[in-house]
Amino acid sequence: MKRVALPLCAIVVLLAGAVVSERALQRFERADPLGRELLYLPSAEMLELTSLGNRGLVADLLYLWSIQYYSKYQPHERFLYLETVYGLITDLDPLYYDAYRVGALIMQLPTTEEAEHKAAVIRLFDKALRNMPDNWEIAEAAGWDMYIRYRDKPEALRYFGSAAAVPGSPHRIKRFLAVWSNDEEGWSFDDALAYWKEVRGEAENAYDLAVCDKQIYRLFASRDEGTLGPVLQQWKFGHGICPDSWQQIIDAGWLREVPTDYFGQPYRILPESCTAHAIEDVRID
Amino acid sequence: MRAIRIIAVNTFREALRDRVLYLFLGFAILLMASSKIFGILTVGEQDKIIKDLGLAGIQFFLMLIAVMMSVILVSREIDSKTVYYLLAKPVRRWQFLLGKYAGLILVVLVNLVLMTVILVFFVWLYGGGFDPRLFLATGMIGVEMAVLIAFAVLFSVLTKPILGSVFTLAVFVVGHLSQDLWLLTRHLPGSLGRTLVSVLYYLVPNFERFNFKTEVVHQLPIPAAAIGLALVYGCFFTGLVLVLACVRFERRDLQ
Repeated sequence: MKRVALPLCAIVVLLAGAVVSERALQRFERADPLGRELLYLPSAEMLELTSLGNRGLVADLLYLWSIQYYSKYQPHERFLYLETVYGLITDLDPLYYDAYRVGALIMQLPTTEEAEHKAAVIRLFDKALRNMPDNWEIAEAAGWDMYIRYRDKPEALRYFGSAAAVPGSPHRIKRFLAVWSNDEEGWSFDDALAYWKEVRGEAENAYDLAVCDKQIYRLFASRDEGTLGPVLQQWKFGHGICPDSWQQIIDAGWLREVPTDYFGQPYRILPESCTAHAIEDVRID
Repeated sequence: MRAIRIIAVNTFREALRDRVLYLFLGFAILLMASSKIFGILTVGEQDKIIKDLGLAGIQFFLMLIAVMMSVILVSREIDSKTVYYLLAKPVRRWQFLLGKYAGLILVVLVNLVLMTVILVFFVWLYGGGFDPRLFLATGMIGVEMAVLIAFAVLFSVLTKPILGSVFTLAVFVVGHLSQDLWLLTRHLPGSLGRTLVSVLYYLVPNFERFNFKTEVVHQLPIPAAAIGLALVYGCFFTGLVLVLACVRFERRDLQ
């Protein structure tokens, strides 16, 4: 009995000690390396050598790590190395569709380095098209990102043109390209909404559905922000100060109700710029 | 031929009694089963990660099985002197070695088939559908292992078991990097250096010739000639290394 009890007690005590000390360690805040650890990422060539013929797996592991690494959005130095990280993943696996798509989406998060990140998004999409010239999906996604996120019609048209040129691409892209190319003003809100609803109807999985919902959300947000902005500016011009809430504007009879986004959430008023802002929380996972 | 077959079957039976084999097999199955966890963490398609992880796992654990079993099974016979009993019978030394090699191939083949079926099952279970091309990718891993086992057999008659394992592992690593030797020949300035590096390149196996994982995972076309030539290349290289091993074993003093 003693023979069993003694080692058992020792195991329980040691395990308890390990758990207690680990929990105590959790209270210590670790120094924030501010993304500098990314400076020591090895090159694609080095990773390829060490992968011993499993470069696809190394790309997967880097991609999984990057999703966790960039999943919590906050302005941070680590975003400076986004292009390096996704360049590395797509060097290791040049046909990695998800890495191009998700990398570009993360790069599009609002930051102070807007212009640089837009250029990086274009470079990433261009690399995708060079490596996957037959993939119309990535070209279409690039076109929509350029149009909705950056309002860059020439770039958007270039990507839609690439998508339409791929044999077997859906007819809606060719149709859209024809309409848009002929219309100096581009598509109206209704055209874009109808298009995305059609794509949503063709969605085959939850991921595609979420992407469509995000695009529809952005469409509504973009339109409403454009409409509500002048109202707020007019208020500020008349009262000398930005309104604290929509209720003040409703009480004054300027609006009938609190303006809400596609999912029914009220728009925020940004006091610094006195503009309306959508709280984008469409998660793609 | 009968002698080779009997030694091969006995080698296979002996390997089945070794617990290390089941340890590796268990780890490989565990890795494939847990690939779903990695798939959940991703944004987008999970199939790719499950296939990448499964194929890499099969290659890695088969390599471990090949390295460990090959060196142990051949060296054990020599070190424990049981080889004397065998060679006292009408069995030639080269037959003993080829029998051992065939038995080891059988061990790896059984494991390969088992692991592949499990991977195909997990891919299907996790929603990736039935992908028969996975058999092609793992089949070519099998060819790679056949070459590697030939090296393991060669090292087992040349040196001690531990050194043999290290050398075989080194061949595995070098075999996956040898493509760079070929690239190096293009950058070397002198013709002498280029010739020397070229000779070195042809002397070490190029395991990347058997690597069709990317094509299978991304559903890319694979020319039949590339598969056929890789098989021919594997056969020639295996034959070459086995002949070297037999020649060395014939001359080896077993006292």
